[in-house]
Amino acid sequence: MGRILCATRGGEASYHTQDAAIALAKEQGDELIFLYVADSSFLNQTAAPLVVDIESRLVKMGEFLLLMAQERAAAQGVSAQTIVREGKLRAELVGAARELKVDLIVLGRPVDRHEQAIFDEMALRAFATSLQAVTGAEVRIL
Amino acid sequence: MSLKGKRHWNGACKLPLPSCTGRRLGPIMCVLSRRTVLTLLMKLEATNRPHESVGRLDRERICDTMASIVRLVVQTAPEGLTTLPARSEVGVAHSAGESTVRKTVLYGLGVVGILCLLLGLWWLLGYFTEEGYGPSFVLSIGIFLVVFAAISLRWMHETAAALLGVVAIWLVHYVGGAFFPALHMLDFETSMLFVDWDVIFLILGMMIFMAMFSETGIFNWMAFRVFRLARGNAWLLGMFLVLLSGLVSAFLNNVTAILLFVPLSIEIAQTVGIHPFAYVIPEVLAANIGGAATIIGDPPSTVVGSHLGLSFVEYMVNMAPIAILCMVPLLVVTTLLYRREFAGARERLSPALVARLEADAHVTDRTLLVRTSVIGLGTLGLFLAGDVFGMPPSVIALTGAVILIAWVQPDMQRMLREVDWTTLFFFIGIFIVVGGLEDSGVISWIAGIIGDLAGDSLTLGTILMLWIPGLASGIVDNIPFTVATLPIADYLTATIPGAENGILYWALILGADLGGNATYLGSAPNIVAVGLLAQAGYRPSFGRFMRDGATVTVVTLVLATLWLLVRY
Repeated sequence: MGRILCATRGGEASYHTQDAAIALAKEQGDELIFLYVADSSFLNQTAAPLVVDIESRLVKMGEFLLLMAQERAAAQGVSAQTIVREGKLRAELVGAARELKVDLIVLGRPVDRHEQAIFDEMALRAFATSLQAVTGAEVRIL
Repeated sequence: MSLKGKRHWNGACKLPLPSCTGRRLGPIMCVLSRRTVLTLLMKLEATNRPHESVGRLDRERICDTMASIVRLVVQTAPEGLTTLPARSEVGVAHSAGESTVRKTVLYGLGVVGILCLLLGLWWLLGYFTEEGYGPSFVLSIGIFLVVFAAISLRWMHETAAALLGVVAIWLVHYVGGAFFPALHMLDFETSMLFVDWDVIFLILGMMIFMAMFSETGIFNWMAFRVFRLARGNAWLLGMFLVLLSGLVSAFLNNVTAILLFVPLSIEIAQTVGIHPFAYVIPEVLAANIGGAATIIGDPPSTVVGSHLGLSFVEYMVNMAPIAILCMVPLLVVTTLLYRREFAGARERLSPALVARLEADAHVTDRTLLVRTSVIGLGTLGLFLAGDVFGMPPSVIALTGAVILIAWVQPDMQRMLREVDWTTLFFFIGIFIVVGGLEDSGVISWIAGIIGDLAGDSLTLGTILMLWIPGLASGIVDNIPFTVATLPIADYLTATIPGAENGILYWALILGADLGGNATYLGSAPNIVAVGLLAQAGYRPSFGRFMRDGATVTVVTLVLATLWLLVRY
């Protein structure tokens, strides 16, 4: 039995990837793990008073979003695990893939028109290629 | 079954790559341009299908060829020559197809832009020297504009930009002034006179309160109560959340309100099955409006209120009514813009999601809550009675914060770490940079131009003081803008007959606070909320935010104009 790691943010744009990862896990009988990376670095540009413990709030939000992904999986008869990590996506994804010894990493392909502008396909593929090289796990963009 | 060795599945892009040492691909991917790949692909295929046109080569094949090239280079490139850059995150990765031509053009444009700026400054220097102004006049404008651009365009952290401006002023003064006395700007001692310490200490005191309050878990509890109170009615829930956000913004701070409520609102929206924009964007708009209601709600309010030496009550009596009034069109616009989302909300809620919401919705520290509430109410009482003792808001906030610290006895090291010093240094920096403008006569010069434009008309002056900051705040950061505009309001108040009642200051506050709603760059709560939404996979585009923000801004600014003209 293999192990699939699906990096997801939640949100409508991620549903397609989540569903594809769930279908793949079901088809192959593999273990499915959803990963959410809480990254608070977007706050580093503002001088606004940030006295709230935003990291722990992002982690809680991530847990909630992954609970939704877990429900989607359960609705299709797949039992999924969830992990929330704090930090940068790439580093945490690599760390999680190595620690869990995953066989396949599933990344989302942007579907939203605006998201496509940010997640340039070439850049996404470059990211996937480097991820595959670093972790040794197969990487698929769904 | 092992996943390795599987071939294409469901159209997925598969990148078969041999295991190799990590951190080796980035620069190669950056160096190979789309054009290079295309050329290579054409050459590779030319022998097989010489008749095929370039236009038929699809994106997929270009990508696959690129992967092959990368594979080949990685296998042959020496270690160390191919280190993966730190920015190679999804979404911010260097585009492998970014052409060197484009980069060259961009750099060229940058150089031309800087040359134009320098030439412009040189011309201004000549012009103003002829007009009788010294070089420090032009330099202070240049420093302010660079700081302003760095803040508004997010070139660097706001605090770093402001402090860079301060250092530039001091370097010009001390180093330049040693050789050319005409370059004297602001020395250290004079700089400190321009810092409004009332603002600094008020923010410091409120930060201590906010940090302690946020640790009690009371806001999660409140949001969940609101969720229960709405009984599954998505529209009612949205209205409650908007009002709650506005209320908390008024009495804590608008950024704090957003940090507390937006993650929860995203979860609530997911639970009731509507798009999170329907709750979060109106909440942000409410936070900016609510922030105008009190002297502690929004930085422009704090800056102007403190400059005028207003007590909490004096400020609130003037600004709270219009802030409350502006909430009405916000609720109406929200209802109209999101009527479909509210109507399409889920009727059967997931018990697991509701249970999860409830699990986080409890008071985490009752003792802290009791103590914070008692001191908070006492401080509010002092704010309301501040006039009796002539205590400035900063002294009241700091008194409350210090009593709270003495009673709660938190870990002081941790407490000091939780104070966001970057905010305080940002304000100090901005006060000094704007002080440079004031000292060199720039502010008086601009005020004279606006004064000529307004003439003796109080109505025109009010409209200018409301709408110029109102429109500008959507594009540029409203804090430095307010600090820079404040001396202009002073000048106009002194020169326009009938302006002694402070109408121009109220116009400035409303313009800066309400105008910040227009775009997501307009104010700090907007930026923070968009970042939080993006973390949940729902990043609004500039235009998407503007659809709601600009609509509410125009309506509330019109309302504010009418109110100012009628009330004063």
